[in-house]
Amino acid sequence: MNDSDLIHLALHRTAASTPDKPALRCDGTELTYGALADQASALAATLIELGIERGDRVGIWFDKSLRTPISIYGILQAGASYVPLDPGCPAARANAILSSAGCRALITQPGPNRNIPNAVEGLGLVTVIGAEAIVPGPSWAQALDASPAPTTPKGMGPDDRAYILFTSGSTGTPKGIEHTHASGLGYARMAADLYGLNATDRLSNASPAHFDMSTFDYFASALVGATTTVIPDPYLKMPASLADLIEDEALTVWYSVPLVLVQLLRFGDLGTRTFPLVRQVNFGGEPFVPKHLDALRPHFPNAQFSNAYGPTELNQCTYYHVPPEWSAEDGPLPIGAPCPGSEALILDDGEEVTQGAVGELVMTAPTMMRGYWNDDARNAEAFHIENGRPFYRTGDLVRTRADGALEYLGRADRQIKTRGFRVELDCVEDILARHADVVEVATFAVRVEEGLDLIGAAVVLAQETDTTAEALTIYAQSQLEHYAMPCRIDVMADFPRTHTDKIDRMQLARAFAPPPLAEISLR
Amino acid sequence: MIDQIKTFVETDLLSGGSIATDDELLLSGLVDSLGVMRLVGFIETTFGVQVPARDMKLKNFRTIAAIVGYLEAKADA
Repeated sequence: MNDSDLIHLALHRTAASTPDKPALRCDGTELTYGALADQASALAATLIELGIERGDRVGIWFDKSLRTPISIYGILQAGASYVPLDPGCPAARANAILSSAGCRALITQPGPNRNIPNAVEGLGLVTVIGAEAIVPGPSWAQALDASPAPTTPKGMGPDDRAYILFTSGSTGTPKGIEHTHASGLGYARMAADLYGLNATDRLSNASPAHFDMSTFDYFASALVGATTTVIPDPYLKMPASLADLIEDEALTVWYSVPLVLVQLLRFGDLGTRTFPLVRQVNFGGEPFVPKHLDALRPHFPNAQFSNAYGPTELNQCTYYHVPPEWSAEDGPLPIGAPCPGSEALILDDGEEVTQGAVGELVMTAPTMMRGYWNDDARNAEAFHIENGRPFYRTGDLVRTRADGALEYLGRADRQIKTRGFRVELDCVEDILARHADVVEVATFAVRVEEGLDLIGAAVVLAQETDTTAEALTIYAQSQLEHYAMPCRIDVMADFPRTHTDKIDRMQLARAFAPPPLAEISLR
Repeated sequence: MIDQIKTFVETDLLSGGSIATDDELLLSGLVDSLGVMRLVGFIETTFGVQVPARDMKLKNFRTIAAIVGYLEAKADA
């Protein structure tokens, strides 16, 4: 380790020391560290040959497979930054991101879920790799058939940008989060230490490349020479197959959003099945409903469960190892302690709160983004400056518990005013989630008219339950202040999800028809 | 059977998009987890069968052709 290190140099070091060790596995195929390094070097050479220079952006757009990490490492080695797109996003969205990022090239693959010609229209890309006959350019095989590029382009250093992750801004304009080699590698090192990764570990890769959790799967594993199994998307929708995969691949370290684990629990046909080889289960992205975690733990009898928290701007920045004696009775999991090397402040109106009081979590960390891509206005607001150092404002409300763990209380902007009362939407969710037959719940503000916001709720219920929306309403009335009551609770088979598999509350809110004004009792 | 499933997938799950019977169905941007549940509900109602969790595997649901193969094998059993 040294301060001039780069993400792909860690791969090349591991490839030099253990060339024959499997680096990646996917759907029955395997790639050794030696082969991964060779293919990344060849792809880098092709990109350079086609005119890609240090600092350029290159999009990647295909279904998750071995091509994903090969492309990531190849782009980095060319000195460029990778811009991962949701494999099945609409062509207009792909076009907007590629355009916003100023991408000069795209690596893709045809599929019924991708309209490549529309996605690249009008962008003037220097090359599109892998589109086969659909758009002219080198095939994937041709791109990998090149003499290796040098491992370090001239002048490149740890402060060079490595990747830009785009999230949906609330206005619909793409928001790009820029990470450097230093922040990506800083995360990989921190996480490898925190979870004690070593060369015998076998990691899951459930997250898509446009989701920052994938940096654990691809970068932390390469640091220690572990093996990562890339899990194609279809497995994540067929939990019984996913259960087989966890066992067949002899996974030891798992990392995903809670949803994947909850689906495994509900539809994985687990019965009394256990996964004794898994030693670490990490989850993040949204809160894990306590009762599901309780039910899941016996299936992983030898695993330490850990909550990972962090907005994409910070990657993961806090952690909480769930104690063995924890139970759902203890309520929502805390987000725990700042990760090693990071610092947290809890602020209210720019001042640190007193011990135990609620405030916004503001953090700095070696894993922090450089800033928002090409967005001076957002960058001016994103950081709090403390003693001359930038701290990212998370927008999340927290407080410190008596035992020192940080407790997540919801988004600062998930606090709404309804009929003059302040309500935390996440608290309403928490109450509904406690009902035994509620599997998932989402609450959101519903605008009935200017100045009148009510709370809408949607739930997914357990299979074969007799519980109805009416029964849930009666339950909620027994638990909530009248002003915090949802104006209606809709029962759904499942929720719409965002491209990072979080519940899409914005879509739910848009689809939710508020009751006519006449039927709302304005107490 | 194959036409009924294909029509349901294209009309109800892919909002009018088209998909070949041997195309991967469960990729990002095609049938999501909500769509899988609707598809299973459609199959159970339309063909009068039960699809237990243990059958919800890739080999049975990867493509429309796989679903038909699964249902035919089920009918023969």
